[in-house]
Amino acid sequence: MSISADSREIADLIARCALRDRAAFSALYTRTSAKLFGVTLRILRDRAEAEEAIQEVYIKVWQKADRYVAGDTSPISWLVAVARNHALDRVRIKRPVSADMDEALEIADLGPGPERSLEQAQDSARIAHCLDQLDSDRADAVRGAYLDGFSYEELAQRHAVPLNTMRTWLRRSLIKLKECLAS
Amino acid sequence: MGEERRAVVAEYVLGLLDANAHEALRRQIEGDPALQREHDFWVRHFAHLDAQFEPVAAPAHILPKIEERLFGEARKASWWDSLALWRSVAAGAVAVAAVAVGLTVLEPRPDSAALTTQLVAALRAEGSDVQFVALYDGTGAVRLTALSGEAVPGSDYELWAIQGGHAPISMGLVPINARTTVELSDAVRSGWGEGSVLAITLEPKGGAPGGVPTGPVVAQGAVTKI
Repeated sequence: MSISADSREIADLIARCALRDRAAFSALYTRTSAKLFGVTLRILRDRAEAEEAIQEVYIKVWQKADRYVAGDTSPISWLVAVARNHALDRVRIKRPVSADMDEALEIADLGPGPERSLEQAQDSARIAHCLDQLDSDRADAVRGAYLDGFSYEELAQRHAVPLNTMRTWLRRSLIKLKECLAS
Repeated sequence: MGEERRAVVAEYVLGLLDANAHEALRRQIEGDPALQREHDFWVRHFAHLDAQFEPVAAPAHILPKIEERLFGEARKASWWDSLALWRSVAAGAVAVAAVAVGLTVLEPRPDSAALTTQLVAALRAEGSDVQFVALYDGTGAVRLTALSGEAVPGSDYELWAIQGGHAPISMGLVPINARTTVELSDAVRSGWGEGSVLAITLEPKGGAPGGVPTGPVVAQGAVTKI
């Protein structure tokens, strides 16, 4: 898959931000802010909060520009990740901390399993294909978590199932998804 | 079970873990190449859903605000450019904070004329209602009072001084629900004055290991003359 001219230009603007080029920063904002504002607004669901968040997002972009590695991910994906993660951080600190998640973190023995190469990850149809292999409500839950920032509690409510059922559902779905994506 | 555990990395990328679990896993991923690969795998695949985020035009006043915050003041920019503290902001979980610092430097340095200066700093970050007021009482100590905010289980708030382009100097842990007095160390005093920056980060219990800030900044700002 070739990198589009649009992507190349955005990558170039990010690189120039890393060199402290303020004009490039302004141009980057003009080119990409609608997309990133869409991300913060969708996840935060509050216009005032999204407006505050988008400022923080671009401050981070300026500061982290030197950490964008062209070719690793598309530049717009990198920007969306900054915006999405920042919005999720804001949502997360308002949520209660649940005790029973602790065991989930005992992952020290995760093996160095062979990971698939980059070119396969660039098959954009694959995630859609693999989500289609799941039951539709479970695929919806995965999309809801990624695109809307829904918590387990919100997903359980939306799908009218107990919280623990939703956790089990989603973890199993993610394991299936991984098998499909890596196959 | 290995699969179950791998699914946790996907939950992390989706944003489903609570704050404590998320932060703990973030640190694990940073230090473990296998986890990093697993993380990158999910990020790359899920990124193909990004097309489903619909663009929404941001209000016109946003860009000038950002530029003001980034470039409004040269000193501030150099602070924002500074290393480790910013990384911790990027790590997330930031809190809104306002810190006002009034300080009077009464003791003249041996090589300078007597100096009596009143200074103030208003510090801001995003996300919660943590607020501190700090006052310099002229005896070499800053009195710090939290106006609002809550303790975070398993974590401590730590105060830092950043002066010039130097690495942050720890000024010790500060309680969130009690007044405290922080002595200015010689290292802090030698560079103290207008342009000094105070920052408060959220650190593991007992403070940042190795004297280098690792947690999110909950408050920061430059000290200026009143």
